[in-house]
Amino acid sequence: MKTIVVERLRRTFGTFVAVDDVSFEVEQGEIFGFLGANGAGKTTTIRMIIGALPPTSGDATVAGFSVAREPREVKRRVGYVSQRFSLYPDLTVRQNLSFFGGAYGVWGKALDDRIEQVVSEVDLQGRLDELTGELPGGIRQRVALGAALLHAPPIVLLDEPTAGVDPRSRRRFWDLIRTLAAAGTTVLVTTHHLDEAEHCARVGLMVEGRLVALDTPAGLARTWVPGRMFRVEGTAAHRAIPSLRARREVVEVEPFGATLHVRTGEETDLDEVRSWLDPDAGVARVMQIRPSLEDVFLAVAGRGDP
Amino acid sequence: MSRFTRRVLAMARKEVLHVRRDPRMTWLAIGMPVLLVLIFGFGVRFDLDRLPVAWVDLDGTRGSDALREELFVSGEIVLAEVCPEVECAERALRANRAIAAFVVPAGAEEDRTRGNPVTLQLLVDGSDGTVANAVLANAEALAAGAAMASAPQAGSWQQAAGSRSPRSLIATVIRYNPRGESAMFLLPGTIAYVLALVSVLLTALAIAREWERGSMEQLFSTTVGGLEIVLGKLLPYLLLGMFDVLLVLSVGASVFALPFRGSLPLVGVASILFLVGMLGQGLLISIVTRSQMLATQLGAFSAVLPSLLLSGFLFPVENLPWPLYWLSMIVPARFHVGLLRGALLKGSGWSDHWLDLLGLAAYATLTVVASAATFRRRVA
Repeated sequence: MKTIVVERLRRTFGTFVAVDDVSFEVEQGEIFGFLGANGAGKTTTIRMIIGALPPTSGDATVAGFSVAREPREVKRRVGYVSQRFSLYPDLTVRQNLSFFGGAYGVWGKALDDRIEQVVSEVDLQGRLDELTGELPGGIRQRVALGAALLHAPPIVLLDEPTAGVDPRSRRRFWDLIRTLAAAGTTVLVTTHHLDEAEHCARVGLMVEGRLVALDTPAGLARTWVPGRMFRVEGTAAHRAIPSLRARREVVEVEPFGATLHVRTGEETDLDEVRSWLDPDAGVARVMQIRPSLEDVFLAVAGRGDP
Repeated sequence: MSRFTRRVLAMARKEVLHVRRDPRMTWLAIGMPVLLVLIFGFGVRFDLDRLPVAWVDLDGTRGSDALREELFVSGEIVLAEVCPEVECAERALRANRAIAAFVVPAGAEEDRTRGNPVTLQLLVDGSDGTVANAVLANAEALAAGAAMASAPQAGSWQQAAGSRSPRSLIATVIRYNPRGESAMFLLPGTIAYVLALVSVLLTALAIAREWERGSMEQLFSTTVGGLEIVLGKLLPYLLLGMFDVLLVLSVGASVFALPFRGSLPLVGVASILFLVGMLGQGLLISIVTRSQMLATQLGAFSAVLPSLLLSGFLFPVENLPWPLYWLSMIVPARFHVGLLRGALLKGSGWSDHWLDLLGLAAYATLTVVASAATFRRRVA
């Protein structure tokens, strides 16, 4: 079942086109990732999908309601964690949670029960009476997620939820996201951590307001980074670059930290790559890898067309 | 309870938590009103007494001594200097040691005992109009009551004296503020002024803070609507404002013996309407400017100037030039100052002030509706 159907969504601010003709669909229970540089239009798209910003043209149907015509019905069915930390730092965790519950019209006993449920979902036991502003970033993001879940929305939109959060907390946060999705909640998440996007069932890539690519991470890799990808590890791997680039079979050589990513056509195998390497490059290991989303991102941002 | 009410209450409750956590708010809501009432009550006074006046006695008799004692006994004017000749009094005026000088001509006592009219001369420093007027009024009253009952000849410092025509006696009875104390007539105005300033600032900060923190964006993602935000922000500050009303009235009563002669419900209803109007003004400014600093400055400016100058607080609105007079019609303080003066000092009631109430209600409705509407536009 499609819970989000975006059709030719467009938003302009004056003469600036922030989102241009964006269409996509998200299945119920799917984790959908949104990738793109800053200013690519991810946040504007999300704000239209949650009903907070009316589209200039086009529409999105969220949980069966049009964001253009019934934004309030849409808001009742989505939870939103914004990019900027937007809880009240001078309120305790409990006060923040009960405020956002009240803002969705949840009240009294039902609210208390719901807070208890959410607190165990996002693992905030024992933190309820601490001032939100004094919590570490990772925990604050869980509070923000909890606040977005109080009205039990079937759809959750997270805009850069892990920005500025340490790796361990990020992993924990993604565990929560996967648990949510497994329970049937649809999750749309933007991130600039490309490794995180690998957790998504499908990824959309935005460049200058347009959705230029949309597929599973593996599918994106096949389309945008065709051929085979090999990783070359060695003490002086960069010395191998000139001889590799001289080969007709090699499409691309990119240094990746101390290693090299070598892209070739479909026919090349591991032994062939080994045979091309300079002996004084000190190569210790060569392996075939799947192109990462980072490779995809560079390919898309570099060319704009597959 | 409807969802609308729940959401408004959720907003209001959150606002109370912010206020309780923020020491700035306590100062703004409690410290500032008290301080302002005290400053205006003690500091701004149009009453002039203890005016220093020099005495030039060219007569030098027992009679002129007796006259001097009689004139200066009241304390409204005090003897600055006794001079043997006019030149010495003029020096005192130039040096600001005296602001006026009585000159008793030679032979005054002799004239008086013969039953002839005696003319005292009064030199007045006209460079400060307010003081000059006060001296003239005082001197006239004093001289009239003094032993040599005859109108003194008055003249200003620069100009030659023009003699005043004898007047018929008018028995004046001052009602409501019998001693003519300016504190009495200033206090109701002060109360309106203080409430205007405090309430505009309270809400001006409250909404701009949400914009600056970025929490406004989060609010827009919830089902809370513009009107709910506006009402939720109004309610707590309205309660705080009503507390301020009681606070400043108590300070007025206990420190300045301000009476409360009229109807308490009338003052209550009028204060609520006035507060809603001013809080709404603060909200509107805050919604438009989106910055705490700008909202504070614009809020203070827009609350202070009209409430001081166009409200009848310091200057009667009837004396304003006509464009300003009509402008004063959209200054809620104008209605509230009039109503408070009536209700506190004169004991006037509902029927005397229905027009003021109407003006206050209109302004309150206007600002709340405009705030909610502007909000809706700003969100988009």
